[in-house]
Amino acid sequence: MHSIQCLVSDMPRREFLQADFKSGLALAATPILMTELLTCMEAKAAPAKPALDPQMLDRVIQTALRKGGDFAEVYVENRISRDILMEESKIKQAVFGISQGAGVRVISGDRTGYAYTDEITEEKLKRAAEIASFVARGSKPSVPVGVRPGKSPAFVTVKIPLDEVADAKRIEIMKRADQTALSYDPKIKMASISYYDEVRGRTIANSEGLLLSDELPLLFFIVQTLGVGGNTRHMGRERLSMHAGFEMFDQVSPEEIARRCARESIAMLSAEDCPAGKMDIVMQNGWGGVLVHEAVGHPLEADNIAKQVGAFTGKMGQMVASEIFTMVDDGSLANFRGTTNFDDEGTPMQRSVLIEKGVLKLFMSDILSARQLNMARTGNGRRESFRYPPIPRMTNTFIDKGNDRPADILASTRKGIYVQSLSGGSVNPTTGMFNFTCRESYLIEDGKKTRPVKGATLIGSCLDIISNIDAVGDDLDFGPGICGKGQSAEVTAGQPTVRLRGINVGGTRA
Amino acid sequence: MDSKALAEQLVQTCLKRGADSAEVFLETGRELSIEVRKGEIETVQEAASQGIGFRIFAKGRMAFASCNDLSDTATASAIESAIRFAQQTTADPNNVLPDDKGLASVDGLYDPQIAKIPMEQKIELAKTVEKMAMQDSRITKSSGAGYSESESEVFIANSSGLSKTYKSSGCSFGVSVVAEKGEQKSSGGESCTRRFYADLKPPADIAAKAARKAYELLDPRMVKTQRASVVFDPDVAGAILGGILAAVNGERVLQEASFLGTRLNQKVASALVTLIDDGTRARGLASAPFDGEGVPTQKRAIIDRGILKGFMYNTIISRRARVRSTGNASRGGFASVPGIGAHNFYMAAGSSSRAEILAGTDRGLLLTEVTGYGINPVNGDFSGGASGFWIEAGKIAFPVKGLTIAGRADEILNGIDLVGNDFDWNRRTTAPTFRIREMQIGGE
Repeated sequence: MHSIQCLVSDMPRREFLQADFKSGLALAATPILMTELLTCMEAKAAPAKPALDPQMLDRVIQTALRKGGDFAEVYVENRISRDILMEESKIKQAVFGISQGAGVRVISGDRTGYAYTDEITEEKLKRAAEIASFVARGSKPSVPVGVRPGKSPAFVTVKIPLDEVADAKRIEIMKRADQTALSYDPKIKMASISYYDEVRGRTIANSEGLLLSDELPLLFFIVQTLGVGGNTRHMGRERLSMHAGFEMFDQVSPEEIARRCARESIAMLSAEDCPAGKMDIVMQNGWGGVLVHEAVGHPLEADNIAKQVGAFTGKMGQMVASEIFTMVDDGSLANFRGTTNFDDEGTPMQRSVLIEKGVLKLFMSDILSARQLNMARTGNGRRESFRYPPIPRMTNTFIDKGNDRPADILASTRKGIYVQSLSGGSVNPTTGMFNFTCRESYLIEDGKKTRPVKGATLIGSCLDIISNIDAVGDDLDFGPGICGKGQSAEVTAGQPTVRLRGINVGGTRA
Repeated sequence: MDSKALAEQLVQTCLKRGADSAEVFLETGRELSIEVRKGEIETVQEAASQGIGFRIFAKGRMAFASCNDLSDTATASAIESAIRFAQQTTADPNNVLPDDKGLASVDGLYDPQIAKIPMEQKIELAKTVEKMAMQDSRITKSSGAGYSESESEVFIANSSGLSKTYKSSGCSFGVSVVAEKGEQKSSGGESCTRRFYADLKPPADIAAKAARKAYELLDPRMVKTQRASVVFDPDVAGAILGGILAAVNGERVLQEASFLGTRLNQKVASALVTLIDDGTRARGLASAPFDGEGVPTQKRAIIDRGILKGFMYNTIISRRARVRSTGNASRGGFASVPGIGAHNFYMAAGSSSRAEILAGTDRGLLLTEVTGYGINPVNGDFSGGASGFWIEAGKIAFPVKGLTIAGRADEILNGIDLVGNDFDWNRRTTAPTFRIREMQIGGE
């Protein structure tokens, strides 16, 4: 109903902030049973996964299509989660979540009916199917294909399953980060360590005969440190997240995350006022990819295109960006935060080149928008939980690497801002106007990164920005985040070091 | 068994299984959402659901578990998980359950009519608001219109003998449209949210405002980078109020992560600024008789005529700070531990009309859209993307897009020199139109 503002952030916002910032967007006054991103999953002690009889799923799908409709689907989910918070060197919160439920969807032409239930019984599923079929009344009935168990490629593999990890091990990881952060510098006054893991079991069955099941592990580790000094304070932040087992911490140690975070807190204490106005930006490799996630990714999601309101509507095959610009969404990168084996509609994940050397090649679709646009499914149909119907979402989205050396990009920029990291941003997918908030940035003076400047806002229009990219580095890297579009999704954003000419920067001095 | 009795019984189950004290938060609810576009239904979504959160203390250590299956087996499993998890946490003598049996008196939280109104009428409302918004010739496309409603019933019981419940409802409708001119696209949306169906504004008002927001910003111009006045429309008040809200969170204050932390009883804003947190307002979107852990809500000034009067607390943080809970325990649903949050949080109305504020502004920005995170609660820095209208000689001169505004909280709050009397309750966090004397505006 509202044009949904798409936003992305590098960490889950505490509900305190969320409730109040979202108030303008919230559809209903009372957010009933809101699935809290951090607190809704499952564990080993949970009730065993309900055994799903394929014939029962067939009967539910038949019920869903009894009044008419062209497509029906049952999505069954169970989730076990652990969410632990350490602050002031104390374990302040330990939250264990068990949730289960199922959603039934019916598509009839452009209409979608959706209903969900917490109880996974044939009776409740059929009831949900009847409610969802409301939208199909009066349309031509179709005959579903009986479901048959299928197999999918595995892009998420696990060495140390999360449900075999003792709670004490989790706490030990947190303590290691806490001690490293606090001993980094006396100006670090507080450390906040947040640990989250979940295992999400999915079963998807649809009227095309698809039946797929899997279990997805997820880890999200966030360190924040407060630096105090020089008459100001700065909260630094560093994250690590993968769809993987506990072996994630062997690849990147908690100490490494803590050191990076503390370094930022201290560096930004000497930040000066940032100048305002149009200037050149060099953006360091990694999470800076949120820039294209917002500015280009959301407008390339096929739902907005199907509604003909998206900024890229009617531009397929056209040159929309600088020819050194190639952008990819790849949900099959092994164990990345945006990776799954198949999307939440059962379509296998794939590498999708969205813009190739400046030419618009592909939109990201789910089943509904692929039908509407008569295009292939790209594995981008995702949902926050069984309480939501799937919509087109990004997975791991990045600017592909180019040929420039990062050091040369900086050295050839006389004056501007060097953005080392961004917090996040948002875009209006209709107009393509975006904004980002800088987390750590520096002045560029005579081709050198010099003094740090306070968090500035970068704004512009998506079509302008991708035409204004004039250097792309060879150092592609990624960072984990949370993308909100009415529902939240785990994503990765990435990019090599890039330069953008003439971006509007919101600083506090002229 | 009714839900209140179930919640009370589950508290006893927690104690039997080894908890020293325990709290059960049970929520049941239903929701309906309808989306239409181009006069056709696009999505209908309907569901009822439920869930329980257990806050359990064992040897002074707290852990939490939630489940959305209310069977004996599932709840027993969740309780045991929490008790086991509590072995890992740090004991905190300040972490106790409240025992205040009181209830704030709040009228009009639940509208029994919402559920009785037929679905067809709600679909029609969404179709009507869309049709009306499309009537303006400058509007070329619809991004969709919708209606949604929800009902919820909350039960809190704990081992200190507290057992409370309340029922609430909400409904909302709105529309979003696009105005196009040549290659230009501009979107505008408006919605109305109320506790009672009969209180929803007429669809013609909502449609007209959505259309106006879309076409008014066509043909924007750029202005030079400069310092000038900024008039905040009520739509963008959250950009300022959100950061203040976070900065008066009592836990942030204790952690020295708030720019207001050391400013209690000091002047932090212009004398025209009074900010109130009110959990008791009749039919308020964020009103409730008690907070997320059962403590009665209240109405209190956070900033009174520029002076910072208090912070917001739940039970644990209030005990650490050696004050009383202010009834600000917030809950993001049954699956979350109580945090700290505001109720209806607003800037009290002033004496100037909006027209007077604009007429009294020689040169500046009427801000109608702002992007970014608002005021940073840690250090008070503010920077965002801005759209709206340029004001010259007291009159709206032309629309502007793609600007930035920035400042520091001290300068912004003390710079508020006009506060409007055009107060509207459409949001949980809101303000009338107000003006900041001078801010840095980034343009060309």
